[in-house]
Amino acid sequence: MSHVRLLLVDDEERFLATTRILLEKRGVENVRTAANGQDALEILGKGGVDVVVLDVKMPGMDGVEVLKRVKQEHPLVEVIMLTGHGSVESAVDGLKLGAFDYVMKPVEIPVLLEKIEEACGKRRAHEEKIRAAKVNEIISHPMAVFSDSAED
Amino acid sequence: MPTDEKDRERQRFRHIRRMILVRVLLLPFLVVMVVFGTVAYYFGTNLKSRVGSELARIASDHGRLIEQFLAERTANLNFAAASHSLEELRGDGRLSAVLRDLQGSSPAFFDLGVFDEQGNHVAYVGPYDLTGKNYAESAWFRSVREKGVYVSDVFLGYRKLPHFVISVKREYGTSPPWYLRAAIDTYFFNDLVESVRVGKTGEAYLINASGMFQTRRRSGGSLMEVDPDRAPYRSQDGGIVSFVAKDGSGTRYVNATARLRPTGWLLVVRQEAREAYAPLYRVWVIGISIILAGGGVVVLMAFLLASSQARQLVLSAREKRQLGNQLIMAGKFAELGEMSVGIAHEINNPLQVMKAEQTLMGDILSELEADGSENKENLAMIRDSVGQLGIQIDRCKQITQGLLSFSRKNDAVQKTIDLASFIPEVIRMVEQKARVANVRICFEPDTYIPELFSDPSQLQQVLLNLLNNALYALKDREEGEIRITAGCEEGSVKISVADNGCGIDPEFIDRIFLPFFTTKPVGKGTGLGLSTIYGIVERLGGQILVSSEKDAGAVFTLRLPIPTKARVRGSSLEETPRRA
Repeated sequence: MSHVRLLLVDDEERFLATTRILLEKRGVENVRTAANGQDALEILGKGGVDVVVLDVKMPGMDGVEVLKRVKQEHPLVEVIMLTGHGSVESAVDGLKLGAFDYVMKPVEIPVLLEKIEEACGKRRAHEEKIRAAKVNEIISHPMAVFSDSAED
Repeated sequence: MPTDEKDRERQRFRHIRRMILVRVLLLPFLVVMVVFGTVAYYFGTNLKSRVGSELARIASDHGRLIEQFLAERTANLNFAAASHSLEELRGDGRLSAVLRDLQGSSPAFFDLGVFDEQGNHVAYVGPYDLTGKNYAESAWFRSVREKGVYVSDVFLGYRKLPHFVISVKREYGTSPPWYLRAAIDTYFFNDLVESVRVGKTGEAYLINASGMFQTRRRSGGSLMEVDPDRAPYRSQDGGIVSFVAKDGSGTRYVNATARLRPTGWLLVVRQEAREAYAPLYRVWVIGISIILAGGGVVVLMAFLLASSQARQLVLSAREKRQLGNQLIMAGKFAELGEMSVGIAHEINNPLQVMKAEQTLMGDILSELEADGSENKENLAMIRDSVGQLGIQIDRCKQITQGLLSFSRKNDAVQKTIDLASFIPEVIRMVEQKARVANVRICFEPDTYIPELFSDPSQLQQVLLNLLNNALYALKDREEGEIRITAGCEEGSVKISVADNGCGIDPEFIDRIFLPFFTTKPVGKGTGLGLSTIYGIVERLGGQILVSSEKDAGAVFTLRLPIPTKARVRGSSLEETPRRA
């Protein structure tokens, strides 16, 4: 799990801090945290995030709004929605908008970890597919590498 | 329904029925009585007037007949006196011939006597020996000497038998006057007077100025007796008077009286009022019978009609009240739903933090233990506390989940459910528990139960909650029984769960579906079981009703919609979420 680059987004700062420690203790070393949607998008903008655990209900920009932006701007990043029961509908909306899954608060750390792993696996699979596709393209059009290199 | 509510409804029912009956019956009854009274009054007045007139006519005719009779007998005597001299009549046999002639004119002549100027009875023919007697001081003699003609009242005289006499005076030229007197056969005269026939009780009789009977009275009264009923008799000279009066025995009579001219006797024609007015009584009897019989039918019909109307009104009032209660409850539940969502979410967030902290504490403890900390006893106590924290956090989580399942608008997974096999499966889940509690669970499905198209897991939760509640209600019963029925009624599937347990207190019955309402002791129930059921059944488009009697048990009835054909055909939609 050490290879997962995780971003935790929740307005409960204590939850962020504790969960970060718990995850790090379980081998998720690259954990970053954001207390609101705006901060989360900034961190994502800098790159290096595989999976986002995103609280649905937050002041300011809510989880669904953040999800939309994430999926627009960083389609490969997998998002796990974190919700109190009351906002299951929002979580379901999130699934429709491309979230990987949702978990209910209060979540057990092992459950959360499992979801993160699955999401990361999916991300890796996507990346693998993209890489394979690119390799195939280079093999079939070797010259294109030089002409399109600027776009990569 | 609670007993006092039933009483109130019964009172309302009676009140409405009474109101309808009064309105429906009172006015027609008054109208009928006024019409009947008016008709009876006019009929009665008319009849009485006719009866009075009829008796007056009879009295008038009969009076004239008696006057005529007396006048004729007087004329007979006058003729006999005029056609003979005193000497002729004194002669042997002549008077007998004259009497025979008179009796030829009228058999009423009984005997005949001749009197000289001094009142000596100079000649007599008849059954008595009266010759030689002197009547100079007799009232009749003085009267006839004065007036010329005299008709006496009935008297005994020398004959010692009741009779009356007609006497005439004969004067011719300078000869001394003499007198002719005849006694009238009282039987003959009686028959003449009595000959009036008016119904069965009609009668006619004569009384003189002193009230003494001059003829017999059929209803009681002999000759020369004083009429005991004479007091109310009224008379008018030359006219007929009719009136109603009671006799000495209290019998009412319709009377008509006429004063006879030559004698001053009073002719009384009378008939018992009961007979005379019989048509009026018949009208009363028939009219009242018709009113009673017709009224009885009308009252019966009105009663039935009023009962049915009152029942309808009470029913519709009850439905309205129930609908109102349901609306109020629905509003209350909607508000509670919103509130529950808010509470659950707000509690879940801190719970999440607590859960994370508790997990971290667990981790740190594990590390301390791994490091081989010296105070192992303290570590064990902290481990226990942290474990307890976890348990309590999970308990809070269950409560918030319960709250959310009451209000959750989550998605139902709809499947076709065969209740005949589904319900026994649910029963099996609590069978062991029931056996331990010595409770018998019986399932009585109707022969036909329509298939349901619903969420099996949610329906299972509903039935399980109901069964668990029933088992709790039966915990102190020796022969507990839970009876589950399933069938089809009024276009929906009806499932009922009935127990013979402690029942629900009437004061709680309106609140049992509210979240956190519980009668169980602290720590034994969250009060979310029935509210969860309510929420689920609402989401499944159904309805849940409860009826209970304290200490006799409770019945929970579920009504769930039967799927339309389209929905059954669309069973390919299975696993498709349906928003309630």
